[in-house]
Amino acid sequence: MSTQTYEAATGRLEAIIKRLDSGEAGLRETLDLCQEGRVLVEFCAGELDAVGRGLEELRLDELVARLEQRPGGAATVPDAAAPPS
Amino acid sequence: MSVQPRPDGIAGSSLAGPFPVGAYAEKLRDELRKRARVQLFGEVWNFRASKAKVYFELRDGDGAVPCSMWRNEFERLGFTTGSFADGASVVAAGGPGYYPGSRTSSPSFSFDVTGLRIAGEGDLLAQMEALRRALGAAGLFEPQKALARPELPRCIGVVTGEGGKARDDVLAGLRRRGWAGRLVWAFAPVQDRHAAPRITQALQDLAAIEEVEVVIVARGGGSLADLFAFCDETLCRTVALLRVPVIASVGHHTDRTLIDDVAAVSCSTPTHAAESAVPCHPIEAREALARCAAALEAHGRRAVVGRARHLAQLSRAPAQAIERHRLALHQRLRELRASARRRVDDDRERVQRRALALSRKATAAGGPEDRTRRTALESLASALAAHDPERTVARGYAIVDDGAGNVVTSAAQALELGDVRLFFGDGDVGAHIEDTKDIKNPEEGA
Repeated sequence: MSTQTYEAATGRLEAIIKRLDSGEAGLRETLDLCQEGRVLVEFCAGELDAVGRGLEELRLDELVARLEQRPGGAATVPDAAAPPS
Repeated sequence: MSVQPRPDGIAGSSLAGPFPVGAYAEKLRDELRKRARVQLFGEVWNFRASKAKVYFELRDGDGAVPCSMWRNEFERLGFTTGSFADGASVVAAGGPGYYPGSRTSSPSFSFDVTGLRIAGEGDLLAQMEALRRALGAAGLFEPQKALARPELPRCIGVVTGEGGKARDDVLAGLRRRGWAGRLVWAFAPVQDRHAAPRITQALQDLAAIEEVEVVIVARGGGSLADLFAFCDETLCRTVALLRVPVIASVGHHTDRTLIDDVAAVSCSTPTHAAESAVPCHPIEAREALARCAAALEAHGRRAVVGRARHLAQLSRAPAQAIERHRLALHQRLRELRASARRRVDDDRERVQRRALALSRKATAAGGPEDRTRRTALESLASALAAHDPERTVARGYAIVDDGAGNVVTSAAQALELGDVRLFFGDGDVGAHIEDTKDIKNPEEGA
């Protein structure tokens, strides 16, 4: 699920709903699709929450300076919400 | 003219003066006017008009000269808007002029144009077109467009001028979209010769950050010369090969720089670029997601409850089938009874009809023949009665019986029996035979 993208998740959700709406799925398939759909809904809701918490503005130059100071210098944006490593 | 006391000069300076600046400005104007009138050629940039004059710059690769022309003289030339645009190559006749200014107005230098002619397409535009063709031939317009753009990026990079209006427009666009994620600003100069390398560097730095999923390059309107940094070959090649999609919004919608060609998306305004960076509208997406969740729940519930109902229905089916059969049997029984009743009634009616017919036939069969038979019968009965012994007895005769029911027909038999019974018309009595004096043998009498 970590490599999941929002668009892939919504695409799969649409396919699931379409399949369920068709009425062709049996009981076992329906329950499996519902379960998979619930996981996807939670993932999408998480993605929407991530862009709905409030605008976080960073400056590239400051960010690059911070990244260069970090050991390993991983080019990732430090997450303000994440606990310090 | 104001008269000021002349101050002392700079100690140790060997230069003449100090002179009043106004006098020097007038002298400068006079000196410039002495220069020969000439014709210049170059490209027009930053054309603008005031009430009395028009202003533009004449540029080439080595330098530029500010120019001005009386507006009425310019309009008399009848240039169309398109022909005298930025980048147009022109020939201008005139000479240097200097406005000395005053205490309340600024001085200015310009080449006072007295004659003007359009010479052809500008070199810069020609260069740009040549570079556009080269980039297109190298296939650099496609790579960005082939990149997958995230529907809902969590992190967006923006390259723009720090103090420009484009920055506010980008924020307004994101706000309007309902997006409030992480924004990384990469501020860079967006015009002059330093702009292109700085923008290139900013783009590379943003692309190096893993979380940045899309980059917006935004700059507000300006002349084509101002926007020319976005036609830089290195910048355009960098954009074309960047790992993240770039959304460009440079200048107004009529401007078309080379970054617009190589970027994944080209937008007319920074606001539009911000909206394009987030194709998914978070508010609408949240509503759609709620609908999806509700649909899933409904399907899951229906799948179980619906089937449970079906099962319950199936479990009731045998009883219902029996009941149906019972009702059907009752119905058939009622029909059978009704049918039998109808059949009996019909038969009865038929028998009655036949009986009536037989009766009528019997009645018809009686009549003259019957009376004849009856008369014959009565005649026979009369004949029979005539031979009835009872009638003989009634006339005074008696029948002699041996008491056992056998008629005694001879005196000898009576004498032999001794006791006999005599039957008269009104009854019978016993008798004893004693006197047998004249008994004749019947055989002798014969």
